[in-house]
Amino acid sequence: MQKTLDRLLTCLAWLSGGGTLLAVSLLLVFLASHGMPGIDAALFFGDTPWLDALLARKPIFGGIWPALVGTFSLVFLASVFSIPLGIASGIYLAEYASDHRHSLLDFMVDLLSGTPSIVMGLFGFTAILALRKTFLPGARTGLLLAGLCIGLLVLPYVIRTTESALEGIPDHLRLLGPSLGLTRWQNINKVLLPLAGRGILSGAILAVGRAAEDTAVILLTGVVAHAGIPGSLADKFEALPFRIYYLAAEHRSPQELEQGFATALVLLLLTGLLFLAAVLLQRSVERRWKTR
Amino acid sequence: MCAGSLALAILSLVVAYPAALGICTLVHGLARGLSARFLLALVHFMTSIPTVVYGFVSVFLLVPRLREWFAVGSGFSLLAAVLTLSLLILPTITLVLHSRMEQLDPTLRLAAEAMGFTPVQQVRCVLLPAAARGLTAAAVLGFGRAVGDTLVSLMLAGNAAQFPHSLFASIRTLTAHIGLVLATDSQSMAYQSVFAAGLLLFLLTGAVSLLIRKSGGKNRGL
Amino acid sequence: MTERAAPIVEVSDLTVSFSGKPVLDAVTLSLWTGRITVLVGSSGSGKTTLLRAINRLNECFPHCRTEGAVRLKLEGRSGDIYKDFLPLPEVRRRVGMVFQTPAVLPFSILKNLTLPLRVTLGIWGNVLSDRVERALQEVSLWDEVKDRLQDAATTLSGGQQQRLCLARILALEPRVLLLDEPTASLDFRTTHKIEELLARLKERYAILAVSHSLSQVRRLADRVLVLREGRIAQELDPQHLQDTHAFQALLDEVF
Repeated sequence: MQKTLDRLLTCLAWLSGGGTLLAVSLLLVFLASHGMPGIDAALFFGDTPWLDALLARKPIFGGIWPALVGTFSLVFLASVFSIPLGIASGIYLAEYASDHRHSLLDFMVDLLSGTPSIVMGLFGFTAILALRKTFLPGARTGLLLAGLCIGLLVLPYVIRTTESALEGIPDHLRLLGPSLGLTRWQNINKVLLPLAGRGILSGAILAVGRAAEDTAVILLTGVVAHAGIPGSLADKFEALPFRIYYLAAEHRSPQELEQGFATALVLLLLTGLLFLAAVLLQRSVERRWKTR
Repeated sequence: MCAGSLALAILSLVVAYPAALGICTLVHGLARGLSARFLLALVHFMTSIPTVVYGFVSVFLLVPRLREWFAVGSGFSLLAAVLTLSLLILPTITLVLHSRMEQLDPTLRLAAEAMGFTPVQQVRCVLLPAAARGLTAAAVLGFGRAVGDTLVSLMLAGNAAQFPHSLFASIRTLTAHIGLVLATDSQSMAYQSVFAAGLLLFLLTGAVSLLIRKSGGKNRGL
Repeated sequence: MTERAAPIVEVSDLTVSFSGKPVLDAVTLSLWTGRITVLVGSSGSGKTTLLRAINRLNECFPHCRTEGAVRLKLEGRSGDIYKDFLPLPEVRRRVGMVFQTPAVLPFSILKNLTLPLRVTLGIWGNVLSDRVERALQEVSLWDEVKDRLQDAATTLSGGQQQRLCLARILALEPRVLLLDEPTASLDFRTTHKIEELLARLKERYAILAVSHSLSQVRRLADRVLVLREGRIAQELDPQHLQDTHAFQALLDEVF
């Protein structure tokens, strides 16, 4: 009986390890082989000459440049909103909050990070409905709203990494500031934050990656298939993940399908690079504490 | 749709959870050193693959195969969504389990080693029971991720609002329902159901957070 | 030795507890400039807590309760540091502390020294570099690092790091030094260097040190306090220490 269990677990272990490896490699190989041929200037700018496209002199048809710009604007807006707020909340949780408040806020952050992104999108959508009924009849979904909602979605990442980066500082360095006569805020600002900097940065990068890939939120807050480059914060916009989703369902020609693969590959490379950056930063943080 | 969401989430968990257990057994017992680290790196990397990419690849890789092999319907089905979604939640579950087991590892392993256990026995008789709370937390967290996911079910499950009577049936989840109704801007009475679905989802994931808190694990939002 | 001078620190009836669990119980002691007082005791006897009570560092830990008084004498004034005698940051500047592990920040050597000066005292320019040089001279580190002030402080050896920490405190012009096993992480030769340094520094500062090494206690101490379960169980002067029997008794009791 015991022997059988052991054997079963061994089988399960190798099977799941192998299966996962197989699934991920299949995914990558499939995507690379179908997507690689499609990555060229035409993928980004369609038939428009790239200089004109970059300077926004001519509109772009068929290229993913507007989607790329849309995604970058989204990420930028979400970061502007979530990174300062997240770092501040993380500092509060790690350094200031009393036990009682800590557990309450901790739960709030858990709740926020558990909320499905579509519900976050629904929240944004409802907010616009409410605004429209009350004092802003012209309100509509668009870039700013989507940025705010995505910011809310990634906020818990920033809070958690800030908190754990601060709590990970060894005691003898944590006490150093106060023992030299620094006030609490001076200690946080001049000693603890610089020490936790790389950890916080890696959290911010993960948040950016998450903001770049989310589709469900923007689905409800103003993404459209053809919008061109957004001219203002209230405009509808395009985004890479939505374009992939859209092309999967509505491609009308093999060319469009190829563009879908290429776009998926571009997005994967983008989030993969962000992920790599975050991992490297995290490693260097761990190495630093281990050397002493 | 509630049944659709639950069926999808539970089935995905049924596929992904044993796989996560298996991977943790490999990492903490059978495969040491480089291969274990490679496997862990792979799982970490999986968290960075966008959901929409999982969905997109499945639409063109998995769905046609399902259509060929089983010759039932279009291939857009509960089964397609389950397979993809379990891949999506696998890293979440694995990493929670792994971090719990890693905390226990050094002292317990030495004790187990001293008792003459083989690596598999160490995992089965010592590490897994000791990580019991991590086991529940990982399952609950995985369930929460599965219920909350929109894209995979929207792209792969077929979206017919019906009871999931078989693996090959086309189903619609609560999350996909919200997306479909609002994105297509239909001004029907389905509008009300969207908010009901949203509230239900929020309560469900709230309950998940509460459960994780009770089981002592931390929802690090992976 | 300034035997009859007034003490610079007077601790009376000091009781400290964490989460209701008493760690120090009615401790009374005094510190004088010109003397090194060494605290010995088994682990858990409250040595570190006693040190941290004198610069109010215990307050950085949750659920800490302190009763009793710690009176500090500064330039003719004196008062209880737990009763608004001085602002908290100034208390901690006047009562400097060095930790067991060298607590250098992963910045440059120079920044390790200038950061607290700039932040707490707002010192800039020439005054700043003068103070830095003086502090480094005082711990005989100046010649070793004067050409590499911009290097990372973590590139220094363990002994150099600990002297850097000492210099950082001295630059803030304290009156009292609290040393929590300052040589515990260092080798024999570096330990000696630090001990020589402390013997020189005691002329100008009151020093309270925790030590785990009896030979160090013998070399360094002008007075030894034995702490047991949060109380001062015994006070020994140097004559006692040279006495083999008394020394053996101490050995049995503490270690």
